[in-house]
Amino acid sequence: MQREMTSELIKEILGKYPGTKDNLIKALHELQETNPLNYISPEIMEKCAAHFRLTKAQVYGVVTYYSMFSIKPRGKYHISLCKSPVCSMMGSENIFRYLEDKYGLLPDHVSDDGLFSLEKSECLGRCGKAPSMMINKDVYTGLTTDKIDEILLNLKSKPGK
Amino acid sequence: MKNITIEIDGKKITTEEGTNLLQVARDNGIDIPGLCYHKKLTPTGACRLCVVKVENMPGLVMSCTVQVKDGMKVTAFDEETEQNRRHTLSYLLSEHNEAYNASYEDELRPLIRRYKLEKPADRPVKPIWQNIPRIIDDSSPVLTYDSSKCIKCFRCIKACEEVQGKGVLSFADRGISKYIVAGFGEWKNSECDGCGECIQLCPTGAIVEKPFRGKFKIDTVEKKVITTCPYCGVGCQTEVFVKDEKIVRIDGVEGVLPNDGRLCVKGRFGYQYANHKKRLTHPLIKKNGKFVKSSWNEALDLIASKFNEIKLKYGSESLAAYSSAKCSNEENYLLQKFVRLAFGNNNIDYCTRLCHASTVTAMLKQFGDGAGSNSIQDFETTDCLFVIGNNIIETHPITATYVKRGKAEGQKIIVVDPRWTPLVKYADIWLQPKLATDVALLNGLVNIIIENDWVDKDFIANRVENGLQAFDELKAITNKYTPSYTEKITGISQKKLYEAAKMYATAHTAMIATGMGMSQQTVGTNNVFSLINMCLVTGQIGKERCGVNPPRGQNNVQGATDVGASPVNYPGYIPVTNDENRRKIAKLWNVPYENLDPKPGLTTIEIMNAAYDGKIKALYCMGENPVITDPNQNHTIAALEKLYFLVVQDIFETETSFYADVILPAASLFEKDGSVVNSDRRVLRLRKVIDAPGEAKTDWKIIIEVANRMGTDIGNYENAEEIWNEVREAAPILGGVTYQRIEHEGIQWPCPTEDHPGTSTLFLEKFNTPSGKAKIIPVDYQPQSEIATEEFPIIMNSGRMLYHYHSSTLSRKSDILNAYADKSYVIMNPNDAERLGIKDGDEVLVCSPRGNLKTRAMVRDEVLTGEAFMPWHFHESPVNALTRSEMDPQSKIAPFKYSAVRIEKA
Repeated sequence: MQREMTSELIKEILGKYPGTKDNLIKALHELQETNPLNYISPEIMEKCAAHFRLTKAQVYGVVTYYSMFSIKPRGKYHISLCKSPVCSMMGSENIFRYLEDKYGLLPDHVSDDGLFSLEKSECLGRCGKAPSMMINKDVYTGLTTDKIDEILLNLKSKPGK
Repeated sequence: MKNITIEIDGKKITTEEGTNLLQVARDNGIDIPGLCYHKKLTPTGACRLCVVKVENMPGLVMSCTVQVKDGMKVTAFDEETEQNRRHTLSYLLSEHNEAYNASYEDELRPLIRRYKLEKPADRPVKPIWQNIPRIIDDSSPVLTYDSSKCIKCFRCIKACEEVQGKGVLSFADRGISKYIVAGFGEWKNSECDGCGECIQLCPTGAIVEKPFRGKFKIDTVEKKVITTCPYCGVGCQTEVFVKDEKIVRIDGVEGVLPNDGRLCVKGRFGYQYANHKKRLTHPLIKKNGKFVKSSWNEALDLIASKFNEIKLKYGSESLAAYSSAKCSNEENYLLQKFVRLAFGNNNIDYCTRLCHASTVTAMLKQFGDGAGSNSIQDFETTDCLFVIGNNIIETHPITATYVKRGKAEGQKIIVVDPRWTPLVKYADIWLQPKLATDVALLNGLVNIIIENDWVDKDFIANRVENGLQAFDELKAITNKYTPSYTEKITGISQKKLYEAAKMYATAHTAMIATGMGMSQQTVGTNNVFSLINMCLVTGQIGKERCGVNPPRGQNNVQGATDVGASPVNYPGYIPVTNDENRRKIAKLWNVPYENLDPKPGLTTIEIMNAAYDGKIKALYCMGENPVITDPNQNHTIAALEKLYFLVVQDIFETETSFYADVILPAASLFEKDGSVVNSDRRVLRLRKVIDAPGEAKTDWKIIIEVANRMGTDIGNYENAEEIWNEVREAAPILGGVTYQRIEHEGIQWPCPTEDHPGTSTLFLEKFNTPSGKAKIIPVDYQPQSEIATEEFPIIMNSGRMLYHYHSSTLSRKSDILNAYADKSYVIMNPNDAERLGIKDGDEVLVCSPRGNLKTRAMVRDEVLTGEAFMPWHFHESPVNALTRSEMDPQSKIAPFKYSAVRIEKA
């Protein structure tokens, strides 16, 4: 299992950003990407509020407004598989089923090894090559079950932190 | 502002250019609907109900977002605008849960009727609210939020941000599932301090208050009475709702000063004490060591005979009285009259001696007036605010709202405090001096100001006694307080000293707010002398939005002294030692002038010391609790035990009444008519809201009864107004303030005549000293006599917190205030805690040479190493067991802020 990032690391990252609120979103991105649990923890929000002289709710409002920020722990690799009509017609529903059957991945859950989490995503704008998904910042299109196996195997064998 | 004319639906309206169109329309009786607009907030344009047509503007525009221009032609009501509003309202309703428990004013319901949308079938948009995730946050002690009733109008967010300056609320999520959050989605763990501004401004019942919810219906409330809040010295105007002789709700009164509808958690929710079951309802007489119920006759006869007997046997100087900052002007006036006539001395004082006595002493000497020089709104509009020893956000929450609003508009704030206070979050500069080094700090700032020539020589030459010569004398003293010398004493870096001096001295306008941190020291008066010196050399007084202000602690501290509850002054600050004054007062009171004692009386702590020494034999204590509030508790208790006769007149049994011979049940501030004076010298009305419980009586009626039975005539009055009219005759500064004139809004003294408008800023033309000029009084820094030793190595500071109030006789009767805070604590620096092996939350023993107590450690870097802080509201951990009764020689105030202690793990 992955661990929460340390208070020291949060402080170190925040230290790079001037304490004005226009830097909040940039800092949140870096904090989430650095966090082994791939989310914005209460401690991160707390420290951001203090650093940027905001209240807790002001930070929480920003974090919950944008779908790319999560307030729940996610896998190291967060899969956003498109659920919109085009991808559905092109087989994304099969792929959801496949991910559940073979890998035990359910939407809004994290795999036991902490590597993967899954989200039913709105349209990713890659309908021309549906079905599509994103893993963290990378886009994958023309998905088939074989392709999924290949991608996930590849990620699993990557040296991790 | 330019006056212009606009036309709405053919009606010509003259108004000021740039004002809000919706507000102008409503002010002129044109009732354009709207839910998101509130005149206290910036326009939002979220609900779209206020749409109108404006000539030469395309389409429908939201009138709340339009500023009026000359010649503007507006159509507010025609078929199109009304159709549009009906449709919009239907949209809002589709996302809205209409369940209504009738305990709040709902602005939506009248609109539903107005647009005939009661029946769901009549609505063009069908309901979808059941399909939207519903968020209910019930975690706050004071309110509940229900997203299903929320129309996302922004009012609560803006109430919190713009009105109260807190910004605790925000939207979470987006689109249709957007909802209001405090903190990370849980009100209880947010920064919310329960002021309830959001409740008062919520139009739809999405945020409703908890107390008495479901216990009454808003339209069955029997009366709503406007009166002054019983807590701090801001003097907020409150509207009190009564149902079945019980207070069931308090709202702020919009549109009048000092608070314009704003309240804090104590003012809005701290009323439970009034109807509390522990209220005193009968006189009690101590018989064989036990208090037993008695009749008023028996109690009053006993008091009168004892007072007379002691006066006869030990002389008139053996009697004294404590007056009360919690009683009305009228009652304080009568008690001082009683003391001067029935006791025949001037032994009357009260808790002001323990709070701003030193400030007032210095201000009287230097300015000729001891009251704050500015109005509450100036806290928002001044360019620079210098806040020293004043935890203003917690102790004067509504004054602080003006400060925070000023900050949002670019005001500069300098905070000087040895410990972190919430205002530091808003400060441009925080100076954290070591405790009790204020004179050195202020002399050091003056030094920098002189060195950099930020001095206002014209002001000094024209408005200061002995002008530039006085300035040179000050300079001779401050010369040695070079930045490096000042840094050595205070621990503040030279750079910060320079920045603060520059910010204050070079600001276009600057105001000072000074608090207990400055006054409650053995050098309290010197502290304020040096503060005022800084103000005078920079000329930051004598003009609008400049001056010195000591926000007052209780809701009538200012008034009690104004009306003469003082050992040295008659009403209106007229010294008792002056022959002519005595003649004038004797004539007014219709007594031989020889009956009035020309000798100044004893002050609060002197009275207690005299009791300890056996010189004071009887004490009449009205609404004070010296066991908790006086320094050196063991000494106080010993003094009270030595008294032959102690009368305590209060609304509850207190730590002090335990030592009384007779306890008299008094009426609370909700149960009486009268007046008070707030921190900006505003005379405000108290109005009776409910009846006093049992046989409890209004204080002034009790005082008259005691006087009559002692055979002393202090006058007969039908009502509080008659007493007030006598006060006006005695005190020229209040002469022009009639009840009729303050019916709607208070008037600031001095107001000598009925055609005088009152005075918002003091000293614009001249100071109130005999010469009409202010005085520079140079003072040197003196190290403390009490120092940290090996045995007592930590210096203890003490003070207040938002949720409780002084000896907390009132505030701890409130479940709500207790839910926020009900435990004492001591704040310690992590370095000290580590050295002593103490962890956050540990129970600790705190000992001083005077006494000891137990409390919990709160380990925070809010205080410096070697210093600690405790709130003094908790009788079970009484800070005043630690403090000493050594006094500031000039003002007789005690050093509550400085005691050497030892802290160890309990």
